[in-house]
Amino acid sequence: MEMKAFLQEVTAKRGLPGDEGPVAQWVAERFGEYCDEVKIDAMHSVVGRIKGDGPRLAFLAHLDEVGLMVIKVEDDGSLRLGQVGGIDPRILPGMRLTVFGKETLPGIVGAKAPHLLSEEERGRAQKLEDMYVDLGLPAEKVKELVRVGDQVQLEHRFVELKNGRVAAKTLDDRCCVAILYRAMEHLKGLKHQADLYFIASSQEEVGGRGAMTSAYNAEPDMAMVLDVGFAHQPGCDRESTLDMGKPLITLGPYLNPVLTGKLEEVAGRIKVEVQKEVAPRGTGTDTDEVAASRSGVPCVLIGIPVKNMHTAVEVLDMNALEEAARLVAHFAAACEASWEEELWN
Amino acid sequence: MELRTLTDAFGPSGYENPVRTLIRQEAEKRCDDVSVDRMGNLICRKPGRDRSKPAVAVAAHMDEIGFIVVGHTDDGLLRFRPVGGIDPRVVVSKWVLIGNDRLPGVIGAPPIHLQERDDLGKVLPFSKLHIDIGAKDQKEAESLAPLGSYAVFDTPYMEYGDGFVAAKALDDRVGCFNLLKLLEEEYDCDLICVFVTQEEVGLRGSHTAAFSLDAEIAVVLEGTAANDLGDVEERFHVCTPGQGVAVSFMDRASIADRALFKTMLKLAREQGIPAQVKRGITGGNDAASFQRGGRGARVVVLSVPCRYIHSANNVAKWSDIRAQADLARAFLKSL
Repeated sequence: MEMKAFLQEVTAKRGLPGDEGPVAQWVAERFGEYCDEVKIDAMHSVVGRIKGDGPRLAFLAHLDEVGLMVIKVEDDGSLRLGQVGGIDPRILPGMRLTVFGKETLPGIVGAKAPHLLSEEERGRAQKLEDMYVDLGLPAEKVKELVRVGDQVQLEHRFVELKNGRVAAKTLDDRCCVAILYRAMEHLKGLKHQADLYFIASSQEEVGGRGAMTSAYNAEPDMAMVLDVGFAHQPGCDRESTLDMGKPLITLGPYLNPVLTGKLEEVAGRIKVEVQKEVAPRGTGTDTDEVAASRSGVPCVLIGIPVKNMHTAVEVLDMNALEEAARLVAHFAAACEASWEEELWN
Repeated sequence: MELRTLTDAFGPSGYENPVRTLIRQEAEKRCDDVSVDRMGNLICRKPGRDRSKPAVAVAAHMDEIGFIVVGHTDDGLLRFRPVGGIDPRVVVSKWVLIGNDRLPGVIGAPPIHLQERDDLGKVLPFSKLHIDIGAKDQKEAESLAPLGSYAVFDTPYMEYGDGFVAAKALDDRVGCFNLLKLLEEEYDCDLICVFVTQEEVGLRGSHTAAFSLDAEIAVVLEGTAANDLGDVEERFHVCTPGQGVAVSFMDRASIADRALFKTMLKLAREQGIPAQVKRGITGGNDAASFQRGGRGARVVVLSVPCRYIHSANNVAKWSDIRAQADLARAFLKSL
């Protein structure tokens, strides 16, 4: 399957934190095309392995998505929502959501019309508690089909823009799952020594919880985490954002400098252009858990710049994905036993 | 013609051309006298069987709310403003189609992670929102979507729930849809079906149509805001989807002819057509133009209750859409 087609399908799949079953199942099948063994663990993380005799090297990209949850069914049949992961409620009014009740139901987010707002309300953004989901169903029917705690997904559209850019929900971080898949394809034509683990981790959006147990199980000697970064856009300052089109490498105390050096060497050798950013403390990714797993795992962190992160219209450049996939594959192929000794010298 | 074809068509105020072309093809099958005036209004005249009856104009507007490109940023984004009344709250993280090539675009928002708590509490105004078509830089953006390019919400028609439809531009393609239905039949009175332009930017198409048509009675088929869910007190609901076509006694632009208002409710009652009185003096529409244009006309408005009007997803109920056509037809037959 082509990477773009993979991305289109994988971004549509259901997989809020704690509910990654459907997306995990689909990803496990795709990973199975290239892996020697694939399993879905107790936390819904997908772990694919391509065997090797060398050090154990894990790659992690998270599987889950930010979304919403039903917290109340009102007497008029409308639903009230709570957040699962960080969502700016301002993206919601007028959006078509998917409610996973006893049946999968489309619903539209409503809020008070502007002409009904008081002077005070007009000046501020509507909060999540001011909004509701309209299922177009009578209240009795809603109560039959929907329960408090049911998961609600943002609207999914996969839109191809100019210059190889695409827009969809959940590019964070399924674009990096797509990179892993593409890297496996590249690896068919490469020799590798390392024992490779490809982990699509669960529950990152609520704090790296899937990565914790997957890293524990895989017990890697080294790891690369892949996640999205902030592409430049209006409303964000240049210093904290990145250019589209190139993958990024993150530097900082949670990342191993020698392993990062190896990664840069590989990038230079295969001519993958990268940009760098610095995370002076936590990285806000699975790295933070993986690096401290068991007795410690030296990590590198790469990423894809994305605009409008955590909205239904995240935008990325396919070229950055292609380049990142080459980098991942060649890094996997380059990894050898001697690296481990070098890491602390 | 299917409602879906009409709602999916591109027709922001001032560029109704694609919608007019669609409607014209359909109207010409049902009417021998179809013309377009210099405001772009499409006028279909159908002579009645009895010359002593009053001439009746029935109107619906073809245009929809949309956007227009007003500039380009260094990094290739489009600056834009609304065409018609759009609350900036409903455009964040939505999909649009731009210009003659219907380029897909998205309206983004800065990531929640990089914003101050105070900023999250503020409405993102149009001046801070942009359409992203994927252009690399200003030059490419300018060539792909020059100044003045129009955009509309990209919202495929969807039926959902218990007989509901969600689409863009139900306001007022439901009126256009029903107006085409009315053209299928013969009446005693002279019927003038007029599909007007530029309603959303100040009732401008109907302004000139009223002048040239000179009808004695004008019936306006509209979509009107329903606020029946959420935290709105019952007295502000205005109308309720599922309770039938809404008949207005007054809105902010015109007062209905009292006799016509009563006739409509009586006909609905007698013929079992679901109808409700619009319970509020809100909105305004082309009835104002017909009432006061030229020699004036007796007017009445029949509206389909529509939730989230002027957003990407207008929501209406099919039973109300059908009731609008049924009541307008019953009225024409009653003359």
